[in-house]
Parts: sequence; structure tokens; C-alpha cells
Amino acid sequence: MTLFSNISREAKFLAKQRYILVLLSIAFLLSVFAVWSGISETRSQINTIERLIEKDAIDRASVLAKQKDYGSAAYYSFHLTYSAPSDIAFAAIGQRDISPWKHRIRMLAIEGQIYETDADNPELSFLGRFDFAFLVSVLLPLFVILLLHDLRSAEREAGRYDLLISTSRSKQRLWLSRAIALCSALCIALLVPFIIGALITQAPLTSVGLITLVVIVHLLFWMVLALGVTASKFAAKQSSAQIASVLLSIWLVVTVLIPVGSDFAIDAMVENPNGGEIVLTQREAVNDAWDLPFNTTWGDFLTTHPQWEDKVQMGESFEWKWYYAFQQVGDQKAEILSKAYRTATLTKNTLAERFALMSPPMLTQRLLSSIADTDTNASIKYEQAIREYHKALRHFYYPLMFNEAEFTLETLSGLPQFSHTKSN
Amino acid sequence: MKVIQQVTRDEWRFWHRTKLAITIVVIGTLLTIASAIVNTIKMEHAAHERSHLQHASEAKFIEQPDRHPHRMVHYGHYVFRTPSPLSIIEPGVDAFTGTAIFLEGHRQNSAMFSDKRQSSGMTRFSSLTPSFLLQVLVPLFIILIGYASVTREKEAGSLHIMITQGLNLWHLLLGKYIALVSSGLLMLLPLVVAAIWATLTGESLLLTSSFVFGYILYILVWSGIVLTVSALSNKSSASFTTLVGLWVVFCILIPRIGSSSAATIAPSLGKLEADFAVLEELRKLGDGHDAADPAFAQLKQNLFKKYNVDKVEDLPINFRGTVAQYSEEKLTQVLNKFAEQRMQEELSQAKISRQFGWLTPTTAIRSFSMVIAATSLETHHRFLREAETLRFDFVQSLNKVHQDNLSYQADMNRHKDDKSARVNADNWQLLSSFSFEPDMAKTRLSRSVHYIFQLIFWATLVCVSLRFAVRRIS
Repeated sequence: MTLFSNISREAKFLAKQRYILVLLSIAFLLSVFAVWSGISETRSQINTIERLIEKDAIDRASVLAKQKDYGSAAYYSFHLTYSAPSDIAFAAIGQRDISPWKHRIRMLAIEGQIYETDADNPELSFLGRFDFAFLVSVLLPLFVILLLHDLRSAEREAGRYDLLISTSRSKQRLWLSRAIALCSALCIALLVPFIIGALITQAPLTSVGLITLVVIVHLLFWMVLALGVTASKFAAKQSSAQIASVLLSIWLVVTVLIPVGSDFAIDAMVENPNGGEIVLTQREAVNDAWDLPFNTTWGDFLTTHPQWEDKVQMGESFEWKWYYAFQQVGDQKAEILSKAYRTATLTKNTLAERFALMSPPMLTQRLLSSIADTDTNASIKYEQAIREYHKALRHFYYPLMFNEAEFTLETLSGLPQFSHTKSN
Repeated sequence: MKVIQQVTRDEWRFWHRTKLAITIVVIGTLLTIASAIVNTIKMEHAAHERSHLQHASEAKFIEQPDRHPHRMVHYGHYVFRTPSPLSIIEPGVDAFTGTAIFLEGHRQNSAMFSDKRQSSGMTRFSSLTPSFLLQVLVPLFIILIGYASVTREKEAGSLHIMITQGLNLWHLLLGKYIALVSSGLLMLLPLVVAAIWATLTGESLLLTSSFVFGYILYILVWSGIVLTVSALSNKSSASFTTLVGLWVVFCILIPRIGSSSAATIAPSLGKLEADFAVLEELRKLGDGHDAADPAFAQLKQNLFKKYNVDKVEDLPINFRGTVAQYSEEKLTQVLNKFAEQRMQEELSQAKISRQFGWLTPTTAIRSFSMVIAATSLETHHRFLREAETLRFDFVQSLNKVHQDNLSYQADMNRHKDDKSARVNADNWQLLSSFSFEPDMAKTRLSRSVHYIFQLIFWATLVCVSLRFAVRRIS
């Protein structure tokens, strides 16, 4: 008898057990709900971005129409930046509910603006979302445990064990094929809604393939673990429930204790600069500049922008180019802190990546959100894109202000456009 | 009575003999102790740091040199939210909301620097807070300890013997129930200690005791669920799978489904998008920096009539300061209207997800715990409102200084003669100090009534099903 015919025989036998059918249909329904709510969430994000782009353009046009010089044009006009969810983001919302994915900035000091968040309802984030990644990383192991823990002991308790062993050619093969039949059924129940969802959102094949692979590998891990525990000498004397308790405590250790412990360790290992310090430094620098001699500001400004050296002379009174120069200087003064802050986030993320190797569920979650481009890296990339765009705005306005170009709305139609390419 | 005690004692003796239950109780208790200590240190540190930053920020404001008052409006001020005493047990939304707000003229900024954005991302599912342990893990521990409490007797045939010997089934179940509850309460002990600590650091006794009471109720409910399922099942294995299934559904699934549903049922626009509507209304108000804006013509005419003059220069007050006050007030009305609307949206989302407390005791205790600990959305909103009051207060006081203490001529000449267009730094004393206090005990208790009812509903449900189980056995 081949392994395959073994499996199909087992499948037919198992399909008659009500308990298994109930578990599998719960898994299927949960997957449907996770995929549906994920899709509706990403859809609403995409729609929001579309509406924002439209409103942003109207708003800017009406603001710019009233301006008479480039300085006030830059002061009064905001620019939308955003990070659209990838086509596969529905499977893993990731960090998108706590890190911002939309932001409006203007040409003032960036450090004073970039930490504002338009995050989701904090209470909902606290409760946590139910997405496909959560289902696969946290709940899938529980399903495997519930399906496989009594593989042998149920037969033993039902008194069929010896009969089964003696009629089967290879006992290893019997349990293996039974486990494979159960896990494939679980795998199908979980993946079918996901694949249908991916078809609806027209997600790229590679991402779908990668996610499917991660799901299967994670499932295999727990299947092998469950088989190992049930086959162990220890398990032979235990009841089904006691075996399940052991599996459950393994789950508890890898899903709860290791992540919590690593989080604690990471916090202790990485010194995190206080975010408040950055904005305070920036604010002091910008506000002090009003009382400093013009030349002090120009000195600091010219170290990074020597090309304007001949254009910094000014009269007694306020001039926009000086105003934006001290905004720039404010950013420069906060730069060390701000970089340290971002480096800390990155270091923490890298460390978390390593610690996650000890916890398959965490690893799965991280892999899924990395494939879906909703992880910490993605949010850092978005922040970088905002900074680049802000830089582009300065590059656009500086020549106009320093060369005292004549104000025309036509020139402003050449304002840089924010573009953030989806990376998959 | 004696019988019940005997059963309880026997149950404990059995747990002691099998080691499994004892190990679980010890692990559970150690975990809660560790988390309570870690969390207490963390929160005390945060409280200390935030109140330090608050003082530093106030000192900085007052230390500013002589300036044009409107420059101080833009210099702005920072406020920090200090955590409530009970947040050592239930940090609630604290880690998800920003804890600092920058206050300045003409704008309402959102809170910045939430802990979660800076965290390693490892604790999105679990966290080492006493509340997570007690709400999610302790039920699992109670299941592991008690799933076989009745089925064991059935499988060994001893239940039948006991009944035929005339033992009252209720006495047996009550004895086992007390044993189970006592094991749960043991794990609750660190929370009681932490609650006493919170009382010592300034929380009202009424609140901390009702906090503990809520958790006791929760443990009563879960012990009841475990006992009922065990009594209804014929086999330990069936009882075990049913209970683990219930645990997954109650503790993990429904709360999350609740929050996902709330986001889908009552979608909220988000601040950025709502701000466009704000901007649209604000544009109608005129720019407060520009006293010549036609939007202020009426204001000017009224003042001319009042002081019987016909030129801005002749007014005894600085018209630019008056305009700043007038427009800040109008603008704040608009901003508040939208901010209020947004908070209502958030609150109604939260309320939808809290309704799931009728479907799972975990959501009920979570809502109850957050509300009592003053770490719920309502308290965060109050922080936003109080910060806004402070913002409006100091901005308007500065505008009043602008109107009364700075002459119009000097103000108009500010670009040419910067030194004369300033007011004395003594004026910066107008900033009132900010300290955020958790809600009043009465407010929190009345908010929690709904969730207490949810918990009582669960307790009743458990009693009814236990009665059903007793009938089935006998």
C-alpha cells in the first residue's frame, strides 16, 4: 500500500468523525472572517488615500491661489504623503494600525511634524485585530494540537489500538498518514479563503506563493512536534488530555513567554532616546533663532548649503529665506537625536528578528507581515520617503527664495509630487 | 458543610499528589508576581519621567526672554499624561496612545510617541502585564487544573458509588468548586498586593477593592465554566478539548473579532481626513495674523463705536491682539466641534467592541478593568480635552497681553524695530501648571456598571448551566 492510498483511506475514516469536522469548519470560517475583514480594512485604506489625494490637491490649489510670494506659499500649503497597502496586505495588517500610513507635511522643520500620528483607535489596537497572520501564527498551532494530541491515545482509550497496530503493515506509517490527512485538511480550510481573497485583490503570485509556503512550513513544524510528543515514551502512559497539556504548555512558552521575554531583553539591550527630547531640541533651536543675530543662523545654514553663500545678505527685517534657514538649522540640531531614535527602532527590529527564531509563531507573524510589506521595515521606509519628499520641497523652494524669483502660480505647478512605490 | 470542606480538602490532596496542578498554580502565581513587579517598576518610572518632563517644560516656558507675545503662542508648550496608580496592573491603552502633546496657537496637535511604535513588535499578542495574565492565561490554568475534576470520578466509577451512598451532588460540586476557585484566587494574590500598593500611592480604596472584586468575579465565572463542562462530559479528554476550545473562543477570538467588527461597522474618518473639513470651515473665519482681513471688519466697527474713534491707531488697545483673541476663539470652537465628533466616533467604536462582553467574559472583565484603572479610551479623551483647555487658556492669555501690553505702533513696526515690539518676560508666568489626574472614583464606578452587569450575567449563566449539569447527572 502506498502512502497516498493510506492517506486517502484515513481521510475517509476521519471525515466521519464529527469532532474533526466541527474543528475544521471552525478553522475555515475563521479564515473567511480574517480574510474578509482584512480585505475590507485594506479597501477602506485605499479609498481613504484616494479621497485624501483629491482633497489635498483641491485644498492646496485654493491656498496657493491666495499667496503672493514663495515664502507664504511654502508656509501655508500642506502636502499629502501616504503609503498605500500592498495587494497582499489584507493577510497581515502588521504594524499599520499603530504606525502612520498617511501624513501631511509642509516646509517647516520636519522634526516638528513627523512624529504626529493619525493612528487608529487606540482601544481597538489594544484589543488587537483578527487578521490572517494572527490566525496562522497564534491559532494554527492550537488547531494542530486539538487535532493531533489524541492520535494514539484516543485509539488506546477506545480499545482499538492493538487491533489497529496489528492490522497495519507499518505502525509509523499509520500515524503519519493519519496526521498528514488531518493537517492537509486543516491547511486547505485555512488557505482556500486566503487564496480566494488573493484572487479578488489580484495579489502578485510570488507573495501568495511565499505566504502559502510559510503557512505550510509552520503547520509542518507543529505537526512534527505533535507527532513527536505523541510518539514519545512519556506519552504512552498519559491520557489524551495530559498529552495535550504538554503540547499546550509548549505553545504557551513559544507564543507568550519567549516573545515577552525577548521584548524585555530587547528593551534592556537597546537604549531608546526619549522622543520628547527630539521635538524639544528642535523647538528650542527654531524659537531661539528669532533672537539670534542673522549671521549665526546663516553660519549654521551655510555649512550644509554652501551654494547660497552669496545670497544670504538681507535687510533689517524679516525675510522668508532666513525663516526657512532657521527651520533647516532646527532640523540639523535635532538630527543626532533623531538619527539615534531611528537607529534604536532599527536595532530593536533586527534583534527581534533574531529572537523570533526561537518562537515559530512570532517568526511566522514577522515573515507574513514582511511579505505583505506591513512590518516595521515598511513603516521606516515610509518615514524615509516622507523625509526625502520634504527634502525635495526644500530643493524646489530654496532657489526660488534665494534668487528672489518672481512669484507665479505657474512655477508652483512644478512642485514635487509625492510618490511612494509599493514594493511587491 | 462538613462534606463540602472534605471534598475541597480531597481535591487539594489529589492535586498535591499528581504534581501537575500544583506546578501550574506555582507557575501562574510566579508569573503574576513577576509581571506585577516589572510593571510596577515600569509605570513608576514612566510616571516619574513624565512629571519631570512636565516640570521641565513649564520651567522652560517661564524662562523665555522678553518677546513679542505672539511668538510665545507659537513657541507653545508640552503636556504629558501621567499614568494612574492602577495602571501598574492594567496599563490599558496607555502604550497605544501617545503620552505627550505639543500645544500651540491655531492648532490641535495629536498625541505623540506611543510606546508601541517604538517597541520591538514582539508583544502584539501577549504582554507581560498582570491584566493580560489574569484575563487570558489564568483561565487556561484553571482549565488545566480542573478539567477532570468531575470526569475523573466518573471514569473511576467513584461518582456512582458516592451518589448511591447518598452524597448530595450539590455538596460534591460545591466542594470541588471551592477548591478550584481557591487555586485561582492564589494566582490573584499578587494582584491584591499590587492593588494595596496602588491604594497606598493614592488610589481610592473603593476603586481598588471593586477592581479586585471584578477579578474575583471573573475567576468565579471561569471556575464555574470549567466545573460545568467537566460535569457534563463523560470523559476527561472530551472535557479537556471542549474547555480548550471555549478558552480559544472566549479569550482570544471574540475580543479580536469584536475589535475588527467595530472597525468595520463604525469606520472612522481619521484625523487627517477630518482635518480637511476643519480647514474648509476655518478658511471662512479669516486669518488671525492679518488684522486687515475683511473677516474682522465688523469687529473693528464695533470697537470704533465703543471707544468713539475712527482709526485703528487711536484705539486704546492693540487691535492686532484683539483680532488674535477673537479669531483664536472662533477657530477653537470649530476645532473643538470636530475634535469632539472624532472622540465620539472613537468612543462608539470602543462601545461596539465592548458589547462583545455579552459574548465572552474576557471582554467584560477587560472593559471593566480598563475603566476602573482609568486607562480606558474615556480617560485618554479627557486628557485630550484638558490639554485643549490649557492650550486655549494660555494662548488667549498671551493674546490678551498682546492686546493690552503692547502698543499698536510698536507692533506694526516690529519688523523694523524688533526690540520695542516685545513685552516683559514676567508675563510668561500666566501659564498654569498642568497635572493630569485620573477620573473621579464616582465617574469610573458609574462607567463600569455596564460591565459589572456583563460579569454578573456570566455568573448567572454559569449557575444555571451548573444546575442543568446536576440534573443531567442525577
